[in-house]
Amino acid sequence: MNTIEEKLWNYIDGTCTPAEQEAIARLIEEDELYKQKYTELLVLNQEFAGLELDEPSMAFNYNVMEAIRADQALAPLKSTINKKIILGIAAFFVLSILALLAITVSNVQISGNPFSVVNIKLPANLKLPAANAIFNSAFMKSFFVFDVILALFLTDSYLRRKKAAKEA
Amino acid sequence: MQSKLSDIELIEQTLAGNQFAYADLVKRHQRFVFTLALRFAKGREDAEEIAQDCFVKAYRSLASFQGQSKFSTWLYSIVYTTAMTFLRKKRVDTDSIDDEGTFVQVESHESAYDTNNAENKSRSYYLNQAIEQLLPDDATIITLFYKGEQSLEEIAQTMGIETNTVKVKLFRARQRLKEKLERNLKHEVKELI
Repeated sequence: MNTIEEKLWNYIDGTCTPAEQEAIARLIEEDELYKQKYTELLVLNQEFAGLELDEPSMAFNYNVMEAIRADQALAPLKSTINKKIILGIAAFFVLSILALLAITVSNVQISGNPFSVVNIKLPANLKLPAANAIFNSAFMKSFFVFDVILALFLTDSYLRRKKAAKEA
Repeated sequence: MQSKLSDIELIEQTLAGNQFAYADLVKRHQRFVFTLALRFAKGREDAEEIAQDCFVKAYRSLASFQGQSKFSTWLYSIVYTTAMTFLRKKRVDTDSIDDEGTFVQVESHESAYDTNNAENKSRSYYLNQAIEQLLPDDATIITLFYKGEQSLEEIAQTMGIETNTVKVKLFRARQRLKEKLERNLKHEVKELI
């Protein structure tokens, strides 16, 4: 339910329907309370319209243009960094590490049972769950479904980020 | 001297590489953008920082402005978002405006002006004082409606809310501003007596 003030503000702003406009105009003419409120709100409306805007400092315009120039100066530096070069360097290091690992592993000579020194005995009454019970088909299926959902979620967020970067 | 070209023409020239055109665009809108920023920051330095940030952001994404709305509406939505982010960062207290603490704080701040002759204070001075005491959202809606030449639909677009919500918010903001104005004037009259 609109209050008198709300109706009158709508009338002043011209945001009510023509029928409402007509009804309020009649009320202002006939009802003393409406007339008084309307005059009061009109004065307020004029005062609000007379609000003064603040002025920034004299150097504001210059500062903005300087900030834009500085921003632009940084832009070419960003664009010269080619992602392919970074990926190439990363791939080189990964391959080097893998090659070194492969050479090291192939040169290691293991004789006898390396774990024979450590004699670990499990408690006799310890019952370990059977691997078959855990990795039954239902478990594996739910695992794969979870993986698929996760992959879809990650792909979606990656594509969204890519789209946002394109639009920016 | 400000350019007579329209906002769209200035944007086209800016996109063609003319930076002076953008300087003209800044000059045209800087007072309003600064005033809007001041509604959130309450300090001139911070407000200038917000306003400057807005113009830089607008410049960066000027190419994405498609002219479907007025440039001012587009720019004010950047100002609103930037100012809101600023508020969140600064953790400015945005509690109820009826909070007595807020009012007392503003009163004590304004007491520095008490030495001024009350006669010199125009009604617009009290109005500006009252608008400073409003919540940022209320002050923004009032400023956009009365000084930004924005329709309710455009304000809704700027603030990212429904037009009907803007209508209700504008009504409440006007009521609060009226109350603040009356309270400040009453306070001043008491001091004179």
